[in-house]
Amino acid sequence: MKILLLEPDTLLGGIYKTALESVGCNVFLYKNAEQAIRSIDRQAPDLIILELQLVRHNGIEFLYELRSYSDWRDLPVIVLSQVPPHESGLDPGLQERLGILKYCYKPKTSLTQLTKFINQLIPFA
Amino acid sequence: MSRGSDKSIKSRERLLNALAEQIKLPLLQIARQAELAKIVGNPQEHLSTIEFTAGTALKLLDNYLLAQRLSQTGSELLLEPVSVAVVLNDTAHQLHELAAYYQCALELHMSGRYEPIMANRIGLEAALTSLGYVFIEGISTSSGENKPVVKLAAHRGKNGIVTGMFAASEGLTTDMYRRARRLHGRVRQPLTGLTFNSGAGVFIADSLLSSMSARLRIAHHQKLAGLAATFMPSKQLNLI
Repeated sequence: MKILLLEPDTLLGGIYKTALESVGCNVFLYKNAEQAIRSIDRQAPDLIILELQLVRHNGIEFLYELRSYSDWRDLPVIVLSQVPPHESGLDPGLQERLGILKYCYKPKTSLTQLTKFINQLIPFA
Repeated sequence: MSRGSDKSIKSRERLLNALAEQIKLPLLQIARQAELAKIVGNPQEHLSTIEFTAGTALKLLDNYLLAQRLSQTGSELLLEPVSVAVVLNDTAHQLHELAAYYQCALELHMSGRYEPIMANRIGLEAALTSLGYVFIEGISTSSGENKPVVKLAAHRGKNGIVTGMFAASEGLTTDMYRRARRLHGRVRQPLTGLTFNSGAGVFIADSLLSSMSARLRIAHHQKLAGLAATFMPSKQLNLI
């Protein structure tokens, strides 16, 4: 499975990338929304894992822009954020409209839990 | 309770909020790094990173506590003639490992030689280090370059010696910083143009510099934008 990982922190990005690669995923790591949007056509990911708190443009702005492209309207997204879900502004209806499969709160989502969920998605990639 | 002390308490609460948000990141890094060590093995490499991350968080907490003690007692830091070059060198020494982890190039630059400035050495070093944490973390994210540059620099301004942190960041403007000072501790990301986090280090630096009667402001150094404070040169040595 090809994953586009949008994680601004260098250390955390490396950790998540290594963990996902250990279960056989091919991971493209980007630190900001502009880089990710510019690269998405080239990388053609099967899944996006996204932090909402980014520099300049936040993750929600990124999602709106992503969904404006017909090629990427149905690309599944997992939010993996340090923003608690009840403070994200993403109610269940909006999550569904933006194609967010799951909202993971970073302090409560271990690497094992994340990779387990990704493994469940792989047969559908 | 007087309005002044009420305002002071609110200001301390906001700084504490910003710090609490900021500290979540190193704790998360430590937790996930430890978990990764269990998953992939090679614990030695991970233990070094964990040790370093914890050390950085502890230094930020120390800088915060220094700022808070000064703010609570209403005292000011004792000013003395301080060599800018020595402070910048010592600060760079503290930040170089963080810059390496975040794949930034930390450069030290002074335009010329300067007489000592009237400052507090410990407070100034704590302020510049706190600023450095935010700049290094932020620029590593926002820059499209392979190894973005963060500059610890000093130059002569019209009112004294200007010293601070600088980088190629489009998001650093006077309006942005003014807004951030109003919003910090109330919103998660008061400095969205600079960092993805709360930027607590900036406001800790601001608090420390205030206790030296200096003020953190947007400044420029060799076409780079940054945050810096101006210090008066010491006149004492001119008499010798």
